[in-house]
Amino acid sequence: MENLDAARLQMAFTLIFHIVFACIGMVMPFFMVLSHYKWLKTRDPLYLTLTKSWQKGVAIFFVTGAVSGTALSFELGLLWPEFMKHAGPIIGMPFSLEGAAFFVEAIALGFYLYGWDKLPERFHWFTGVIIGVSGVASGILVVAANGWMNSPSGFDYIDGQFLNIDPVAAMLNPAWFTQALHMTLAAFTATGFAVAGIHAFQVYKGRKVALHKEAFKIAITFGAIAAILQPISGDISAKDIATRQPVKLAAMEAHYNTEKGAPLYIGGLVDAETQEVKYKIAIPGMLSFLAFGDFDAEVKGLNDFPKDEHPNVPMVHYAFQIMVGIGSLLLLAGLLYFVSLKKKQWFANQKYWLLFVLLAPMGFIALEAGWIVTEVGRQPWIIHKIMRTKDAVTPMPGIVVSFYTYIVVYLTLSVAVTWLMIRQIKVLNSSNH
Amino acid sequence: MLYVVLFFLMFSLFLYVVLGGADYGAGIVELFSSKENQKITKKTIYRVMGPVWEANHIWIIILIVILWIAFPEYYNIIVIYLHLPLTIVLLGVTLRGVAFVFRHYDAIIDNSQKLYDTLFKISSLITPVFLGIVFGALISGQIIIVEDIGTLTFFEAFIKPWCNMFSILIGFFFAALCAFLSSVLLIGESEEDNQHIYIRKSVVASIIVFILGLFTFIYGYVTKSVFVYEFITNTYAIVAVVISALLLVPLWRTIKAGNKVWSRFFAGFQVFLILLAALVSHFPNIIITQNQRISLLDNLAPVSVINVLGISLIIGGAVILPGLFHLLKSFKMIKILDKNNNPSI
Repeated sequence: MENLDAARLQMAFTLIFHIVFACIGMVMPFFMVLSHYKWLKTRDPLYLTLTKSWQKGVAIFFVTGAVSGTALSFELGLLWPEFMKHAGPIIGMPFSLEGAAFFVEAIALGFYLYGWDKLPERFHWFTGVIIGVSGVASGILVVAANGWMNSPSGFDYIDGQFLNIDPVAAMLNPAWFTQALHMTLAAFTATGFAVAGIHAFQVYKGRKVALHKEAFKIAITFGAIAAILQPISGDISAKDIATRQPVKLAAMEAHYNTEKGAPLYIGGLVDAETQEVKYKIAIPGMLSFLAFGDFDAEVKGLNDFPKDEHPNVPMVHYAFQIMVGIGSLLLLAGLLYFVSLKKKQWFANQKYWLLFVLLAPMGFIALEAGWIVTEVGRQPWIIHKIMRTKDAVTPMPGIVVSFYTYIVVYLTLSVAVTWLMIRQIKVLNSSNH
Repeated sequence: MLYVVLFFLMFSLFLYVVLGGADYGAGIVELFSSKENQKITKKTIYRVMGPVWEANHIWIIILIVILWIAFPEYYNIIVIYLHLPLTIVLLGVTLRGVAFVFRHYDAIIDNSQKLYDTLFKISSLITPVFLGIVFGALISGQIIIVEDIGTLTFFEAFIKPWCNMFSILIGFFFAALCAFLSSVLLIGESEEDNQHIYIRKSVVASIIVFILGLFTFIYGYVTKSVFVYEFITNTYAIVAVVISALLLVPLWRTIKAGNKVWSRFFAGFQVFLILLAALVSHFPNIIITQNQRISLLDNLAPVSVINVLGISLIIGGAVILPGLFHLLKSFKMIKILDKNNNPSI
């Protein structure tokens, strides 16, 4: 394996894991805080049990997220030293603010976890709110740094030199808002459906039904609302990418030839050699409409760009289809949940619970697919139109060894975390409430 | 603003060494304890470190982020030449953090605890050793800076800079320092009956630190290390180190007297003096390579970047430091504020 490929795979692999841990660590505090609020309001011990159980989940995911994040902060430099040498100072601002937000989160977490019966009740609850808010802030800031790679700004690039650096303009790059909005909603959707699915499974199995039903309701409310709002954010993102990174949009849609009134392809198999998409459903004019709000607008095709600036088209296209497909499915499931609040008899139906069990991993699959779209779709650039990924990689040979080491460690870690969660639920089911 | 950035760089380095160091040290103390004492140590560590240990380790992230933003060239050398020891540090940090959480949050207590404990103790030793090796490598004079790294063999470029006697000695010196800090901290945190365990440990650890430090110096002197020569010809460095060594006497006395406030103060101050001595002797040429010295202040990031970073750090510090202070205070980590619990003041 080439050093570049190994480095890219290692980065992708560690990010895929970190994203899951980080999203759960940033969204679950909101479930915990809501349950805690209900405990303070109703004094129903069920909510206290639930809060304490979720707080353990938050602690475990916070730490796994924090250590995998620490690893990533080093890996950026270890794998891409040339990138960091130039980009580090420019995009340092979101990273330093993220460090601060993360610090606040860790302090709040210390207060929250160890503050039961020691701190005044309301203050204790409030530290939980801070965990959630600073977690989301960290997420947004990191995504802003990624946004800069897609839409580099805040400097002048003259003769291979980065001059007149403006860190604030770099942080507030044109992509930061669309990406951060999309990612935050995705985190809530994915975590909401995942946590809800786990509790739905317990209801399905008939274990502690009252407790798990409440847990399900709290988690799914967040997930459903986010899933319903996500298409709006998706539309903003699509229109943004259409003008800023037309190659990426073309790859997402496997759109090879520039045309007016471009059709939207749903599904299909991409043949990169013949530049054909087989077995697809084509909706005439729809791509033009989604990208520019006009059914007759011209959408640039991949062939308008040099071949060495194309990303891996089939991969980006499939990932995009998976993301949109699952996103639509979760939107419907979210609506279904709100309908079920009116039709209470559905809660007695086993199939209802089974449905949500099956949906549990879907949000995360969509979320990872979305990151594949944005990251693979950015290739071959590490800084869009400025620096190629191959020019940024470390000169140290043998990264493939480090890649395999990371695979072993992270896979072990994820098995261990899953096992730990199963044990948490077992104990929760044997508790008194 | 450059001074603000430099201040925060040194400040996070110091806090990471003291707080993160005590945290690593706790695992080392546990590793070198009898079976019975291990249980006591484990409980005490949880109570003491539980609320603050995540915060302790964020200092290194702050450190790394400041380095890459303000001192990109310098950071570039570290991440290229010291890729291997840093990767080991990372794996150590990961496994250690995970093991800590697993052993305290696993809902079912059974045999798997043994695995978590082993993992925790071993990674608590390996991580600071390799961190120390990284510090050591930067001043060992073994890094070779060339235009095209392809002209060097893999061994010359990526192994020799850190895998040498001097760096390894610094690695163990740092680990011993961690154990020293931790045992002094644990005295004040353990129950009355168990304090003698940590009193003995802290005395032993301080002796090991002293011997390892002396040995590293003699080794460096004999092998004509540039760092050691600069160190011994720098008055400030020598004064700082001598004071630090002399402070061992009052330190031992306060430990024996069970004075939690002063023993901690002396231990922290000693570490501060050691760091200060190491930095002052060759500042700003913090990297000493085979063919040149690289100043921290060479190839700084542009002024606009330094200014924004300085402002961010001031704002961040204003938010974080009071919060951190209250966290430490609320869980009675700052003994001087804890009047009821401390008859010795």
